[in-house]
Amino acid sequence: MAPEVSCCFLVVLLSASCEVITSSDQMCIEKEANRIYNCENLGLSEIPDTLPNTTEFLEFSFNFLPTIQNTTFSGLINLIFLDLTRCQINWIHENAFQSHPQLSTLVLTGNPLIFVAETALNGPKSLKHLFLIQTGIFSLEFIPAHNLKNLESLHLGSNHISSIKFPKDFPTGNLKVLDFQNNVIHYLSREDMDSLKPATKLSLNFNGNDIQGIEPGAFQSMVFQSLNFGGTVNLSVIFSGLHNSTIQSLWLGTFEDTEDQDLSSSMFEGLCEISVESMNLQKHSFSSLSSATFQCFTHLQELDLTGNHLKELPPGIKGMNSLKKLVLNVNKFEQLCQINADSFPSLTHLYIKGNIKKLQLGAGCLEKLENLQKLDLSHNDIEASDCCNLQLKNLSHLQSLNLSYNEALGLRNEAFKACPQLKLLDLAFTQLHINFPQSPFQNLHLLQVLNLSHCFLDTSNQYLLAGLPNLRHLNLQGNRFQDGNIPKTNLFQMVGSLEILVLSSCDLSFIDQEAFHGLGNMIHVDLSHNNLTSSSINALSQLKGTYLSLASNSICIIPPHLLPILSQQNIINLSHNPLDCTCSNIHFLTWYKENVQKLEDFKELRCANPPPLQGVQLSDVTLSCGITAVGTFFLTVFLFLLAALLIYVIKFFLRWKYQHL
Amino acid sequence: MQTLTMTRFLTALLVWTLMAPGSGGRGRGTAWPTHTACRNEGLEVLYQSCDPLQDFGFSVDQCSKQLKPNLRIRLGIILREDIRELYLDISLISKGTSVLHYSYPICEADLPKFSFCGKKKGEQVYYAGPVNNPGFEIFKGEYQILLELYNEKRATVACANATVICS
Repeated sequence: MAPEVSCCFLVVLLSASCEVITSSDQMCIEKEANRIYNCENLGLSEIPDTLPNTTEFLEFSFNFLPTIQNTTFSGLINLIFLDLTRCQINWIHENAFQSHPQLSTLVLTGNPLIFVAETALNGPKSLKHLFLIQTGIFSLEFIPAHNLKNLESLHLGSNHISSIKFPKDFPTGNLKVLDFQNNVIHYLSREDMDSLKPATKLSLNFNGNDIQGIEPGAFQSMVFQSLNFGGTVNLSVIFSGLHNSTIQSLWLGTFEDTEDQDLSSSMFEGLCEISVESMNLQKHSFSSLSSATFQCFTHLQELDLTGNHLKELPPGIKGMNSLKKLVLNVNKFEQLCQINADSFPSLTHLYIKGNIKKLQLGAGCLEKLENLQKLDLSHNDIEASDCCNLQLKNLSHLQSLNLSYNEALGLRNEAFKACPQLKLLDLAFTQLHINFPQSPFQNLHLLQVLNLSHCFLDTSNQYLLAGLPNLRHLNLQGNRFQDGNIPKTNLFQMVGSLEILVLSSCDLSFIDQEAFHGLGNMIHVDLSHNNLTSSSINALSQLKGTYLSLASNSICIIPPHLLPILSQQNIINLSHNPLDCTCSNIHFLTWYKENVQKLEDFKELRCANPPPLQGVQLSDVTLSCGITAVGTFFLTVFLFLLAALLIYVIKFFLRWKYQHL
Repeated sequence: MQTLTMTRFLTALLVWTLMAPGSGGRGRGTAWPTHTACRNEGLEVLYQSCDPLQDFGFSVDQCSKQLKPNLRIRLGIILREDIRELYLDISLISKGTSVLHYSYPICEADLPKFSFCGKKKGEQVYYAGPVNNPGFEIFKGEYQILLELYNEKRATVACANATVICS
């Protein structure tokens, strides 16, 4: 009985007094104090009084404001951005935004507008972006034009607009973006286009309209940043209609759910009379592809043929000497040589990603592309037992190579000798076979970024990363280390210039104290999603001022001598660790309070122990481990009683002994 | 002292549990109704929206144990996020554990596969068309399928708990 009582007593004395504060704020979320508020989905029928009049950005979508008048937002005179998406707005009355001189963006998407008053948009000195998507608009006359002279973007998608003819007084001079997506525009006349003549470098979007006719000369001598006719069935209408215009980027792709007509060579005849820099033809099919198909493509700089069911590009395409960028993603090539790369000698960027068939690299298929700087061959099921010098022959100017998400590649010493200028190499999720002690990346003197995540590497090969004097960023996520240990001698000794190192999800349980010696330039270390305990923190003692992530590890208690190592870092993430919130971890818990500003994701720092505090945020825990005043009182009483008891026992014992003499 | 602390903790917990279901908009805390996507000759597909904010409509035109390739579906939903990028995650769950997980891009910046790609928050999407699926036979049994549509910010666009009963 007695030991139990005293045990209980001790528990009372030493138990942590913990406090849990939970606030459940039903109101708007403050994203930045006094400036940015989010009131989405709250079913509000008015602006809450709690919003300060300094509010500049207000997200108020999915609330209930059938009528907007000059009193609706009168308290928020500093509004710059106002999102009223799906607020069931029917009416916007006179001078609704009269007291908002700063208002620059107004989003009215998805409101069943019945009427917008003539002066409804008066007030803002410089209204730049207006979203009227799916508001039931039939005619452009519906939009009050009075105060739109500074308008830069006008979004009118998903309405019932059939003519893009603006009213006479509508100021289009500053427009940069005009979006008519998913309307019912089938014809573009000269008159329609004349109202857009004042705009310069306009981006005009007719995606999902199925243009069936353009009046000859409608686009005559106009200059566009971009034109989008996505989903249009008859491309020859577009090409002949754009006669004599200048377009930076022309998007003519189609979609899986759109009726398609095969493209023939004759359809592109009109392209000879247009100046286009970049063209996208995604998801179309060519009826018969020959070198003649491309005879009007001669001035193109960029061509995107994604998902065009291509099995090959015809050999001997003439006149595409100036093409700089070619996208051939999601096609059906079997061999890289089938793209007949000789036709594009100026190419600097080539993308062949997500080929539907297993792609074979062959030998020297790209050797004529002497100017190639960027090559993307990811997601292609590429398999090669001896990569990559023969395959990438003569690509001496290549700077960026993406071979991620492929099948197994065998790499030997100096595997990328053919492209000595490489700055970025991405091999993520491609299994690499590298025999000990080979150094496949040897002599990549300029390589800065190397992604080797999930490559099934033999990390015990300490020569793996030899010959990379300028490597700054190394990703080794998802690779295993022997016994989950990074020993003193390891592959990092070869890459002293490293600044960013990712070792997340590597199943690590221990890092030797001297494992990262020599990595003095480090600014970012990610060790998240491992099984590290605080004993591995010693290995980070060399690092200063870094971003350090130890999230999702097995750290329970961080003893006081390791806290200076954390203190010398810039930002630390310790979220999702089974942290101990008892007095054995009091030093860390105290350190936490003082260093909250350094801790990323600090809301996810939660206790795993003791059981009553399991899952509680560290910020809500106050631990007092010293003996409190109440504790002192009880201890005094306890000691007093103990003394009394002792005296009584001694007295009793003496009396008993005396009686038995 | 310990009892006082415990009481405070329990009170806070009680207050929290009482307040939590009431916070936020309507619909939270109550489940959306279960709809039938199709029912035909021994195959039944039921679904329920697991997005606390809203329900959505979905149906499959043909419904047979020998699932045809390139099925036509109908889908109606209000977007609560922009879908310049849109991804679909499908998890097949059997007896509470995930058996199969599959992720598929529907809209990507460099490959918008469908005409609705690029629609904005607040727009309504009605899609009636093919889904480009392979054909396969469904074996007898009951399957739980979790479908989630989300955008590049990992914000939920739609979420469905579906049950496929094949007898």
